[in-house]
Amino acid sequence: MAVPEATLSHLNRADGSATYSSNGYTVVGAVNGPIEVQRRDELPEEAAIEVNIRPAVGVGSTKERYLESILQSTLRRIILTHTFPRTLIQLTLQVVNTPAPFDCPFTSSPLPLLPALLETAMLALLSASLPLASTYTSVGLALAMPSPVKKKASLSATAIMPIDDKALEQASSIHVFAFTADGDLLVAESEGLFAPEYWEHAYDRALELCIGSKDGRAEGEMVVEGEPEDRNESQWLRSVMQEKAEQEQRWKT
Amino acid sequence: MTSTLLLLPGDEVPSSLLPKGNHKPLVLGPGLRHAPPSSVRATVSGTLTVDARKNALWIETNRGRYIPHVNDLVIATVLRSSSDFYHCTITPHAAQANLPQLAFESATRKTRPQLAPGALVYARISSASRDMDPELSCVSASSGKADGLGPLKGGMLFDVSLGFCRRLLLSESKVPLPAEQGGGAVTILEALAEKIGFEVAVGRNGKLWVDGGDVKMTLAVGKALQQTDQERLTLDQQKKLAAKTLRELGS
Amino acid sequence: MPREAELSLNEREFLLQALRENVRLDGRPFDTFRNVELKFGEEYGVADVQLGKTRIVVRVSCDVTAPYPDRKFDGIFNITTEFSPMASPAFEVGRPNESEVILSRILEKAIRRSSALDTESLCIIAGQKCFAVRADIHVLDHDGGLVDAACIALIAALQHFRRPDVTVEGENVTVYSLREREPVPLAMLHHPLCVTFSYFHSGEVVLVDATLAEEQVRESEVIVTMNRHGEICQIAKYGGSPIDAVSLLTCTSSALGKVQALWKYIQEKLDEDAKKRDAGGLMAELSAENAR
Repeated sequence: MAVPEATLSHLNRADGSATYSSNGYTVVGAVNGPIEVQRRDELPEEAAIEVNIRPAVGVGSTKERYLESILQSTLRRIILTHTFPRTLIQLTLQVVNTPAPFDCPFTSSPLPLLPALLETAMLALLSASLPLASTYTSVGLALAMPSPVKKKASLSATAIMPIDDKALEQASSIHVFAFTADGDLLVAESEGLFAPEYWEHAYDRALELCIGSKDGRAEGEMVVEGEPEDRNESQWLRSVMQEKAEQEQRWKT
Repeated sequence: MTSTLLLLPGDEVPSSLLPKGNHKPLVLGPGLRHAPPSSVRATVSGTLTVDARKNALWIETNRGRYIPHVNDLVIATVLRSSSDFYHCTITPHAAQANLPQLAFESATRKTRPQLAPGALVYARISSASRDMDPELSCVSASSGKADGLGPLKGGMLFDVSLGFCRRLLLSESKVPLPAEQGGGAVTILEALAEKIGFEVAVGRNGKLWVDGGDVKMTLAVGKALQQTDQERLTLDQQKKLAAKTLRELGS
Repeated sequence: MPREAELSLNEREFLLQALRENVRLDGRPFDTFRNVELKFGEEYGVADVQLGKTRIVVRVSCDVTAPYPDRKFDGIFNITTEFSPMASPAFEVGRPNESEVILSRILEKAIRRSSALDTESLCIIAGQKCFAVRADIHVLDHDGGLVDAACIALIAALQHFRRPDVTVEGENVTVYSLREREPVPLAMLHHPLCVTFSYFHSGEVVLVDATLAEEQVRESEVIVTMNRHGEICQIAKYGGSPIDAVSLLTCTSSALGKVQALWKYIQEKLDEDAKKRDAGGLMAELSAENAR
């Protein structure tokens, strides 16, 4: 799996911003907030969260609205919204690049884009220094089952791959997961044909990709320069933030 | 004392780093919250800073939008006035802050300053809570004196990062601390002030007001400060920049 | 309704006083652009322009549809501009504000109505099939000069874009995917670019490529669109204080120099990109065919 790239705080107007690209998806995210909220959206006890997703081509449609609703409900659990009642936290995600469309059962599915959106949102929120309950990481997986699908088909015959062009071509189902830093499941979206045990199989693999094996992570562990195989999304996120922090503290030396 | 430990939101502060052997209550600064029963967790990403003397710890960040805190000095813009208040903005698009028209040094109904919309004031935040709009004041609560606060006339406003404002204010204290001890490590102001005269007001909301008397001087000082911030210049580089700026000003 | 944060009185006065003393806040001479940086995406038709702190990404795409019944021999070309809160919290989704309307109108006039793109070349079978080319303009960062930056990005993206190759046999149309056949560049008739002039101090001070702060203080602006041959495509002046007719002439002659320099820069970047894409030398031949 290719190592994702990220740039932080590169926009001047927004309070926090990030660009994330991975597997042919590039998303620019910007966060503004807490800012003044319109009366109709005002919540007396917490900050309202507004998510705008803008596709690379054309104007937003139901697909974008659907993704927005997933992000909105996810971020409500992550941002400590009670810190800023009666305000607005505004997140804009601009899709800049998607892999060229081709024929596959999931061409019009919104899910392949979701991991990149979730990761961009996380980075932009970190860049804006908004108080968060936890970080999260996200991964998309494609399952290719041997056809025809039989119940109890052996799990080992099923290929699990991170979502990219090649994986989508053979996929029979796609799954997107997001986990908090503690390994709690935050988002699980699936599409396609699969049996429950396949989902569990995918879950295990996603957890591994996101935060590494369950017992392998100690409290407050620093970034380890590991083999590419050992790399996981949480470590990557930490290394991105570490780099940023070092840049910002340069004057101290 | 600073550590180089980076914390991400949700990370627990290692208990070994919590200051001990001090009978003062533990103070949690920005970016940390108490997670019952006994752990402390970060809410923003940044490096953990511990002050063992004050028994305090906080997270150092340099990003995001300014959030009002009591006793912070800010540069606010007057938006409009009503019968008792000037309504001001501290950061654009955020909730308005109220500045009572009598909260100026020796202001009475007759002698209060008249501020037009768009005027700048250097003010202290007298109350800030998440449930209410922040309130500003231009007099010291104890002495009733202005202490340098009040309307800012002329000059120019420059945007800088929030962290840099903090550093500037740290460096302004009587005994500046070196960076390792939590000091701001900004020397450019002193270096410039040795040769030229100018006025500066630092607002915690990421605003710098500079008045050097004329356009050239004001711009030179403002640009030098912005450059120090953006390029995160070290002390030596700041001295060089100050020398260069002075040379260009021809003094 | 949220509005753009306005400058304080101090900033306004300082900016105007500085201009009176021939000084711009960023130290530029009056008649120069900020630093322009143009990058192309991995795909064809994606241009990313950074003009000072303003950043715009334009993405050109196309698909095959039926032409409008009253324009059987023309393909379809659309430009969409929609601001998002990314550029400024003052921009609301789905509610265009004034600068958004002005931007889309100017681009419409400057690029579409000036026939920069030859729409006839987009026709596949008259009355039945044609290409619909659309350009999406995304403003990521806003520090003034949106019109100029968007125009640079749009022209560069159109010139960079490749549409899929097609063959027609009778009524049958075959559209080849990018993997099957080398895609074809669009037929551009000319390359109009916009230069915005801002007026201060009742016309005594004229600035090229104003920043957002300067835009907020200016008295009026004139947008000149011109191609590198000095042909004017449009001149726009939306209200503001009156300006001297003679100064329009100065504008247009100064715009010519700017447009030529900008086009030269775009051309260089396009060549650079073509070289990068083309290992074997095939593209060099293609681009030679299309040089006007």
